[in-house]
Amino acid sequence: MRNSFKVAKWEVKRNIKNKSFLISLILTPVLFLVFFTVPTLFGDDEKKSTATNKVTVIIQDELGVYNEIDSIIKQQNAIHWALKQTDRTEKEMVPELETAKNTVFVSLTEEALAAGKINVWMSEGANANFLQQAAVIEPPLRALQLERAGLNSEQIEMISQRIGFKSIPVKKQAEKTEPEPTEDPMKKLVPGAFAGVVLFSIVMTGMMIFQSASQEKKEKVAEIILSSVTPADLMQGKIIGYFVLGLTQVFVWMAFVIPLIIWRFDVPIFNYLLVPELALLLFIALSGYLLFASLFVGIGATVEDISTSSNFQGMLFMLPFMPFIFIGPILSNPEGLAAQIGSYIPFTAPGVLLIRLSIMERWPWIEILIALVILTASIWLFMKLAGKVFQTGILMYGKNATPKEIWKWMWS
Amino acid sequence: MDTMLTVDQLGKSFKEKKIIENISFDVRRGEIMAVLGPNGAGKSTTIRSIMGIMYPDEGSITFHSHKSGKIPRHKIGYLPEERGLYKNVTILDILLYFAELKEYPAAKAKERARFYLKKFGLEGKEKASIEELSKGMGQKVQFIASIIHEPELLILDEPFSGLDPVSLELFKKEIQELAKNGTAILLSSHQMNVVEELCDRLFMIHRGQKVLYGTIDEVKKQYASFKCVIYGENSKRVLGQISDVQRIEQEGDRSVLYLSQNLSLPAWLKKLPETVDIQELVIDRVSLHEIFIDIATDKSTMQEAGERYA
Repeated sequence: MRNSFKVAKWEVKRNIKNKSFLISLILTPVLFLVFFTVPTLFGDDEKKSTATNKVTVIIQDELGVYNEIDSIIKQQNAIHWALKQTDRTEKEMVPELETAKNTVFVSLTEEALAAGKINVWMSEGANANFLQQAAVIEPPLRALQLERAGLNSEQIEMISQRIGFKSIPVKKQAEKTEPEPTEDPMKKLVPGAFAGVVLFSIVMTGMMIFQSASQEKKEKVAEIILSSVTPADLMQGKIIGYFVLGLTQVFVWMAFVIPLIIWRFDVPIFNYLLVPELALLLFIALSGYLLFASLFVGIGATVEDISTSSNFQGMLFMLPFMPFIFIGPILSNPEGLAAQIGSYIPFTAPGVLLIRLSIMERWPWIEILIALVILTASIWLFMKLAGKVFQTGILMYGKNATPKEIWKWMWS
Repeated sequence: MDTMLTVDQLGKSFKEKKIIENISFDVRRGEIMAVLGPNGAGKSTTIRSIMGIMYPDEGSITFHSHKSGKIPRHKIGYLPEERGLYKNVTILDILLYFAELKEYPAAKAKERARFYLKKFGLEGKEKASIEELSKGMGQKVQFIASIIHEPELLILDEPFSGLDPVSLELFKKEIQELAKNGTAILLSSHQMNVVEELCDRLFMIHRGQKVLYGTIDEVKKQYASFKCVIYGENSKRVLGQISDVQRIEQEGDRSVLYLSQNLSLPAWLKKLPETVDIQELVIDRVSLHEIFIDIATDKSTMQEAGERYA
């Protein structure tokens, strides 16, 4: 095991010093930051421009509702009106609007109220959306209209209230007694997403194991290394080394992303993240890594030149993306048959479990347990087989191994 | 000299085919021992079995008193035939990594790396990557990597292949110096003249089996007889009448006579007929190179000559 750590340390050191790894390590969060902040910057500009281009709304208030309108407008975040009150009439104001810009004159007179038609005079530059925005001042005017019609306040309130439709799902008798689910969805989603990022990142760096094993074979260094360490030590060292690299990547990314999320959305992300469930989710992510890492290291040792390797080896790179097949069915029904099948197939289990556990309020413990038993057994089997393939493949120079040869080595 | 490595009755098969069989030899402290044999004879399989990279089916390997599987590999240095180095890492980092794998202290390794880089004309190249070096320089770095941890036993598989004459001399000198300082050296090579010059003993494998084993002189005595080179105008018929000549090779006025084993040279010289034209005469043992070719091509020099001229 000591030798494994030496190999792991070497793999980490050699990659950390590698320019392309460093670039991807730093560039990914930088790109994320750029994509995240640039639209916001534009958004701010838009905000600023709307602030400076506030529409001036001059109200002739014969009805005495100005204060009420003012308080309504102040509550509306999306509406930016500079309200002014005037005693001047339509006849006096309209000529002035001819020369004004971005100004609207609203004439609230008894006559207009009785007729149910309120004139809105708009100057040049005033936004055509203004009339839609003006709908927010309709309720106080409607109430006033009804009052003038002689209705008492209770009647007015009743009429003012809209008729709404409420959906109530029919539940089985047994479930009726259960309280309504009130759990915050973020509670499961945040640790799930975090574990998902960990899985994605370590599996991606895990793919580098393939390259590392293949390169060691191509550069003919393997035999020198194997004169000091056993094939098992070398293989384990690579798996541990790239795991550490993957985690380094996650930490660097998180160091950028978490403060950003806290700053932008004001979400207490650590409260959501540091929960007991995270341990299980991370265990699933780690299992996924070990499964794919064993595959990559074993098959990497059989390939000297990736460009001439068979489709069989290329297909391996598709395996970590298999859970995406199940995403649609899982999102529509996380307890459905497709989701269950996905949980029991070793290659899809880590991804599928993480998606399901992130969106399900109640975790299906029995299914989780069965899936983990299958996954752990598969890891054990794959590690054993990868060890055999690695041991023979890494010392075979000059050609790529055929699937038939690999099969033979596995059971030798 | 103490015996450092003992290989006893080693055997290995792939599928049904025996790659090596009954291979037994030992390597002693401070000696240079050669493992010879044509391509595919089983040399690398023997070496890989000693290194624990391959597992033999039969026999045992003992290093000091440690049996196979428990051999302290950090006391052995190894330069494989198929060798390379990480391309995008600095030379010093590679050397330190190999030393670390051999459990050699980092500070000492750094010191030794610098010492050998200087000795091999690579001073100032510590921070260079292997891509920036020539093939010969790369081979020097590989050689340094195999000795950086002061091994007690050094195994070199084809250490001289691809070397220019200057580097070859440098390697030979270094190997001799290591042996002088007590390192046991086991090397395989196809350059028989170098082996003859450098090695104390040799072990030759052919088709996975031992064909020769002993000191260079013993082997020559045991296997090869004398050869007599005569410069002069002589026909094959005249030369064929000389007793104890097993084969004759002629090229212009140069004739090579391969003599029978165990003959007395002074007596044979006395019996040379007067009719033979001798401008110059050289008598020497058959070279290791010739023995090697004989064995590799399954040709017995003596038998062939005997059939033709007896």
